[in-house]
Amino acid sequence: MKSVREIAPVVLPPIALFLLVVLAWQLVFLFGHIESYLLPSPLAVARAAWKKRTELYGALTLTAASALCGFAASLIVGTLIAIAFTFSRIIKASCYPYAVFLQTVPIVAIAPLIVVWCDYGFQSVALIAFIISLFPIITNATTGLTNVDRDLVDLFELHNANRRQVLFKLRLPSAVPYLVTGARISSGMAVIGAIVGEFFTGYGATRFGLGYLIMQATDRMTTDELFAAVMVSTALGMAVFTVVNIMGATVLSRWYHA
Amino acid sequence: MKRLPWFAAAAWILLAGCGRAPSEGNSATADDAKSDTNTLTKVSLMLNWYPEAEHGGYYAALVHGYFEESGLDVKIIPGGPNAPVVQQAARGAVDFGVTNADRIVLARAQDAKIKALLAPLANSPRCLLVHADSGIEKFEQLQNVTMMLSREHAWAQFLIKKLPLDGVRIVPNSASLAPFLADPRAAKQGYIISEPFVAKKEGADVRSLLVADFGFNPYTSVLMTSDETISQRPELARKMIEASRRGWEKYLADPAATNQRIHELNPEMSLEILDFGVQAIKEYCIEPEFQPDNFGRMTIERWSTLVSQLEELEMLDPGAVAPASLFLAE
Repeated sequence: MKSVREIAPVVLPPIALFLLVVLAWQLVFLFGHIESYLLPSPLAVARAAWKKRTELYGALTLTAASALCGFAASLIVGTLIAIAFTFSRIIKASCYPYAVFLQTVPIVAIAPLIVVWCDYGFQSVALIAFIISLFPIITNATTGLTNVDRDLVDLFELHNANRRQVLFKLRLPSAVPYLVTGARISSGMAVIGAIVGEFFTGYGATRFGLGYLIMQATDRMTTDELFAAVMVSTALGMAVFTVVNIMGATVLSRWYHA
Repeated sequence: MKRLPWFAAAAWILLAGCGRAPSEGNSATADDAKSDTNTLTKVSLMLNWYPEAEHGGYYAALVHGYFEESGLDVKIIPGGPNAPVVQQAARGAVDFGVTNADRIVLARAQDAKIKALLAPLANSPRCLLVHADSGIEKFEQLQNVTMMLSREHAWAQFLIKKLPLDGVRIVPNSASLAPFLADPRAAKQGYIISEPFVAKKEGADVRSLLVADFGFNPYTSVLMTSDETISQRPELARKMIEASRRGWEKYLADPAATNQRIHELNPEMSLEILDFGVQAIKEYCIEPEFQPDNFGRMTIERWSTLVSQLEELEMLDPGAVAPASLFLAE
């Protein structure tokens, strides 16, 4: 367990900076007038967040569920694809360019099609989150699985290890740090993917996610509610990122201490 | 004389460049002097959508020279999805804008000081398309359907609040009509001045339910400007209203030349659909008792109704906006 003395230098500077920025931002409003359709004051954002807390919470749980489903699927599928790439040079050579396609495809153009294929609702939102967060997993896992110490591979072969043994005992363990890096990038992208997905598919008549709240606030020009919804979205992204970091650190420490 | 430091000169030039472009024609340069427009006041008018029939009157005023006759050199700036018309008009980045009445109320609630000047489309063209063989003839019959609409909009919130919506699934609206045409139990948002025409052209038999008939009827394609323009340049606002009014009269009576111009600016709007649009505006959106001199005039009752509806929908805090502050009473 880390002591307070270890954690403080990491946690305190960003918190101090955040408070300073918020303070400066609020001071601007104390000494001058800015119309609320242009920029809300931090106090107004806090008030809006409190006023809309039930809606924000409900939207947060839905968006989080979609983002996490998409993220989990991209972790599993991305790793499996990367394993397939390490098994066959031909598969890698023929498929990898199309994995890059995932990264470059404008998701807003594809989203309406996904709705046509998978119908409106949760599954389409999660699918869009999945597509957006898949590529960093594939590319990082592939790098990790193939960037293995050549001497260790020789050693495994010397002992007559089969491909499965090389994969599970050598390649996968050494790919973990790369996979964690990929997961860090994907965690935030999955949240963005879910919100973009909600713009296009929604969840039916009564339920809505953060994406809808963002559209609603934009339409009403209520910048305080917009900032509140955006901050909840970024908090969600940061939460997923932090969990990935903690899990990654736990797995990595076990790996390096072993 | 001591020379001005170069950075001071540069800063002065930069600041001058950043300032608002003078809209009044008092900054005549050598170039301006050569043209005929040097005596005209330069004015910008920003639309809320791509040029179409709902903006016809403003384009007619341009095409037939009514703006010029009123001493105005108007530049019409087309909008699009999420075009920040009210924000730009409130900031003074554009002189005038075209938007719908509910957006003026919502903007006013957010400190955007703007007012409506003229409401050519007294009745809202907002409608919901259903398939003719769905048997749905009024809003109350909307059951077990998929409704494709932008539910964040005020009129959609109104429908959601007032309808029982048994078995109704609400999905985001898409620009394309295809999902609607493919689903016989679908209902889709539209404007009665264009979507029914497109659906018919695609071979679909549709019925349009006007949201205005159901009780939510904000003025549409409203000409508006900032409070500052009204107080600082009242004459400019008056000229703009006058020329726009003439433009609308002309457009409703003889739209051919204007539609030709709109079609050139926005080729997606065919001449047939624009012609359909004018007829639909005449049939559904114009008050029959309007005379040329009071065309587009607004009433405090209509604005009050809209404000209390938005309050009821909890889109507006009670008392946040005074109806009288929303429009210029003539």
